[in-house]
Amino acid sequence: MTKTSDQAGAATGPGAAGAGIADELLGFLAARTKTTWEHDQDLFAVGGMSSLFAMQLVVHLEKTYGITISGADLMLDNFRTVDAMVRLVHKLGGDRAAAAAGTTAGE
Amino acid sequence: MSEATAAGGTEPWPEELFTDLVGDRAAEWDRTGRIPLDTLRGLGAKGLLCAQAPAAHGGLAFSSRRNGELTAHVGALCSSLRSVMTSQGMAAWTLRRLAGPGQQAALVPRLTGGELAAVAFSEAGAGSDLSALRTRITRDGDEVVVDGAKVWTTNAAYADLLVVFGRTEDGAGAVVVPVSAPGVRIERIEDPLGCRAAGHADIRLDGVRLPADALLQGVDRTPALLVTTALAYGRMSVAWGCTGILRGCLTAAARHAKAREQFGVRLADHQLVARHLAGLLVAEQSARRACEHASDLWDEGSPDMVTAAVLAKHVAATGAARGAARAVQVLASAGSRDGHTVARALRDAKLMEIIEGSSEICELMLAQHALATAG
Repeated sequence: MTKTSDQAGAATGPGAAGAGIADELLGFLAARTKTTWEHDQDLFAVGGMSSLFAMQLVVHLEKTYGITISGADLMLDNFRTVDAMVRLVHKLGGDRAAAAAGTTAGE
Repeated sequence: MSEATAAGGTEPWPEELFTDLVGDRAAEWDRTGRIPLDTLRGLGAKGLLCAQAPAAHGGLAFSSRRNGELTAHVGALCSSLRSVMTSQGMAAWTLRRLAGPGQQAALVPRLTGGELAAVAFSEAGAGSDLSALRTRITRDGDEVVVDGAKVWTTNAAYADLLVVFGRTEDGAGAVVVPVSAPGVRIERIEDPLGCRAAGHADIRLDGVRLPADALLQGVDRTPALLVTTALAYGRMSVAWGCTGILRGCLTAAARHAKAREQFGVRLADHQLVARHLAGLLVAEQSARRACEHASDLWDEGSPDMVTAAVLAKHVAATGAARGAARAVQVLASAGSRDGHTVARALRDAKLMEIIEGSSEICELMLAQHALATAG
């Protein structure tokens, strides 16, 4: 997580902040499911997670990144992969909270 | 006293207001299958039927915990009225999650302003399996056309607005239908097993034309996430309502067991009767703790609220169904006429094991959660 704070100047770019968000989400998934996931792996493919778990992801993203996910953003494809969730957080302006969240997740 | 202030300065606590309003009329509402419409509108206009709605939209901005306690209070008085609250609250919550900002600003104030709303999920071929929805929402220029048939929609017989889930060309979504729109037909279910005055109705939608923005912005390839989101509120509300049913049953059974004598002693001094009282207390407290936990997680914004809501609903609904049967057993003939608190509870609680995810569906979801988190 030090990467995010070391590159504070670049934190506004999707690359640095995106990596922080992705790490945090992979950590969340691992803690919740006791399974390791890839950043581009379909969480809802056959044998994967339920729509109940998708809603947990909605609530987690909202709480962690200070965003509101409603209306047109409330679609399963936005939570299908870690990459998709990173894009959603960027789109909804949750980037700035990402550094703080990354620090918390790393401690 | 913050809630009293929020409700308008000199207004009584919401709990007192409901107690005074229901009075001894729950039995009559149960027997006639009707709650007076002006009673419902009056409560709605105070924001009390969907008290979690935000202040910006005329709501009371209650927390899940505070609204839950109010819901339990009403549940102990009258499960039909509590069911109306569940529907209105779920409609407001569905708008908050599925509607765009403009749609919310236009619609939510109507739900805090005295208009009544229902959420229509179930169809003849789509109950527990809502992926089988067949109601169609079709775009036609700057309009949408809604065709389909819904069954067992709570509050629909009283409602001004229906939030109708269905299929779109792209997948699934929900459309807000005024019952006054041409092509809408509401057919009240006159003989429901329980919650008899909750306004259950079947709905026919034949070529109902609406402006395109009646379709809420939340459109997905499948109904799963949309429906799960909407039902989360309904599950919390039903769970708290069942806690109220148990409180009503416990009070009625304990009072009766103290007052009545058989074989020369109080009923309560017969051990087999006392056991029923213990069972009712355990059920009421277990349900309440599960509800408090889930609501606190909801208010914290914890992702654990999702599973906790299912668990609370399951604990409370199964507990209420068993507890109501115990209460009828303790009161026996004194509680065996329609309209009596425990007679209503027996019928109302059984329906709560079916609605908002049957007990079996809840168990499947909880089992899936156990498997998904086991590693």
